Amino acid sequence: MTHLPPALSLTGLTRRFGTKTAVDAVSIDIAEGEFFTIVGPSGSGKSTLVRLLAGLDVPTAGSLHLRGRDITDMPANRRPTAMVFQSLALFDHRTVGQNIEFAMKMKGVPPEARRARALELLRLVRLPEDYYPRPVTQCSGGERQRVALARALGSDPEILFFDEPLSAIDYRLRKTLEVELKELHQRTGKTFIYITHSLEEAMVMSDRIAIMRAGRFEQIGTPDEIYRRPHSRFVAGFMGEVNILPVSQAGGGAVFTDLGLAAPGAAGAFAVLRPEAVRPGGDAGVGFDAEVTQRLMLGSRTQFHLRAGAAALIAEVAAGPQADLQIGQVARFSFDMADIAWVDA
Amino acid sequence: MRGGRHILWLKVLWVGTVVTALYLPIVSVVLASLANTRYMRFPHKVWTLDAYRAAAADYTTVTLHVISLQIAVCVVLLSVTLGTIGAMAYARHDWRGRGLFQKILVLPIFFPQPVLGLALLLSMSALGIAPSWKTAVVAHAVWIVPIVTLVISIRLFGYDVAQEEAAFDLGASRWQVAREVTLPALWPGIFSGALFAFLLSWSNLPLSVYTSGADTPLPLWLFSRTATNYSPLVPAIAVIGTCVSGLIVVMLLLMRRLLAGKNQPV
Repeated sequence: MTHLPPALSLTGLTRRFGTKTAVDAVSIDIAEGEFFTIVGPSGSGKSTLVRLLAGLDVPTAGSLHLRGRDITDMPANRRPTAMVFQSLALFDHRTVGQNIEFAMKMKGVPPEARRARALELLRLVRLPEDYYPRPVTQCSGGERQRVALARALGSDPEILFFDEPLSAIDYRLRKTLEVELKELHQRTGKTFIYITHSLEEAMVMSDRIAIMRAGRFEQIGTPDEIYRRPHSRFVAGFMGEVNILPVSQAGGGAVFTDLGLAAPGAAGAFAVLRPEAVRPGGDAGVGFDAEVTQRLMLGSRTQFHLRAGAAALIAEVAAGPQADLQIGQVARFSFDMADIAWVDA
Repeated sequence: MRGGRHILWLKVLWVGTVVTALYLPIVSVVLASLANTRYMRFPHKVWTLDAYRAAAADYTTVTLHVISLQIAVCVVLLSVTLGTIGAMAYARHDWRGRGLFQKILVLPIFFPQPVLGLALLLSMSALGIAPSWKTAVVAHAVWIVPIVTLVISIRLFGYDVAQEEAAFDLGASRWQVAREVTLPALWPGIFSGALFAFLLSWSNLPLSVYTSGADTPLPLWLFSRTATNYSPLVPAIAVIGTCVSGLIVVMLLLMRRLLAGKNQPV
């Protein structure tokens, strides 16, 4: 058991703009070395929250402690934290080297030491050393990402903040950078606090994820917990395609309203069911006949859109003879009650 | 191929016409300054530099330039300072009345300058201020500050304000943010603005006519002497004045080149 104080501790952190509350009494402890991601739709207050954490904005109420020290009123330039901005905000009229050395220059580090550290950081973010004298305007999108990361690391921060830095990057490069960022986190051992609107991106990198909605954390958990046990339809909806089946009480017990089947042991108003839990064949707990309305090839899996009674469901089946169903075909499908995550709202 | 050659000749002819139209008047002024008669007649019977000798000997020549120069320098300082602040407020912050500010700001540009000059003279006498080169500075500024503000704010449109936040986040003080990020980004705009301000003030006649009082700037002297008491001294001083302003612009450009060289990455 270690007794390190949390890297960052938020207590009732609140930010209001006029009558609108962007961040509503958020409290959480973020552990030393954790990769913590805040996921939310636009307008959920996640960007406002990270600006409060970085010291670029002042909270209306609440407090903020960094390793036990109160930093609520400390401006950004005195906080030992650094941020990678959504626009990256590289200094356009400077070279890659000058960008990376900026924080060290502000601290008064001598030029030779600055240069040595900058070259070290270039290696760390996997950029060749001969990028050092290049103007940042000559760098590609991915290279600019790396320069921004190296520049933030150049201030030797205790915590790094990321405000959706990958949102404007194309899919393949984003996937590469996600993995690199996760590796960088493991190598540096620093605390990373990451903002994104993509749960998929968060899943890949994070130790812990907070789902933010209307200024509050709706659910906090490991990627696995968020994926398997969402607390609400809102959280479940973030996972992309998922089946949400309403449950109602009729006569003797609970039934899946749209399927018209009994739902023994239902523990909520809605059943959240992952597409891969809906399987062809009738061997699992709840079986039903469904018509295939759409068939989509996803590579290793095939996705089926199904209609059963009033219910529309999605099933994903691994490649194989079971995936041979065609559009218009009626077949038996089933799922296990144990695969359901129950939510009330 | 023949068609291509035709087009080339047309291009040469066109460019030649434009250049002649632009420079012929200036050449005429130089030619007029080399005569010794009060009446403009060409070709001259006598070619002489007498007018330049007279100009060099005359104390007025220096006074005219000094007055024009001090007005221009004050206008440059005033308009660059106000223009930078105004451009920042305009381009960086989204505030109520931003659109209105822009319209009010450019309004003086649309005023005919003689009307503006008269209006300024009337308001100054109403306030009991005697016109002098200082009031001319104010008058020039009224017209030039909007132009300089526009020139600088064009520069600010491609500018990511998050750069300033990034610098602040990386430990820079407010002053360091301004010195390291804001000013370098604005510098080309400020320089062009200063150049515009200088040249517009140096050559301004309609505002100076009303507002410079007993102090006579160069264009005003040229105008009144051409109208009433013409001699080759007038074109001679005009040529000298053009050379002086040209020299100042060249010096400013050299200074900029030097400063840019110092900030170049090694």
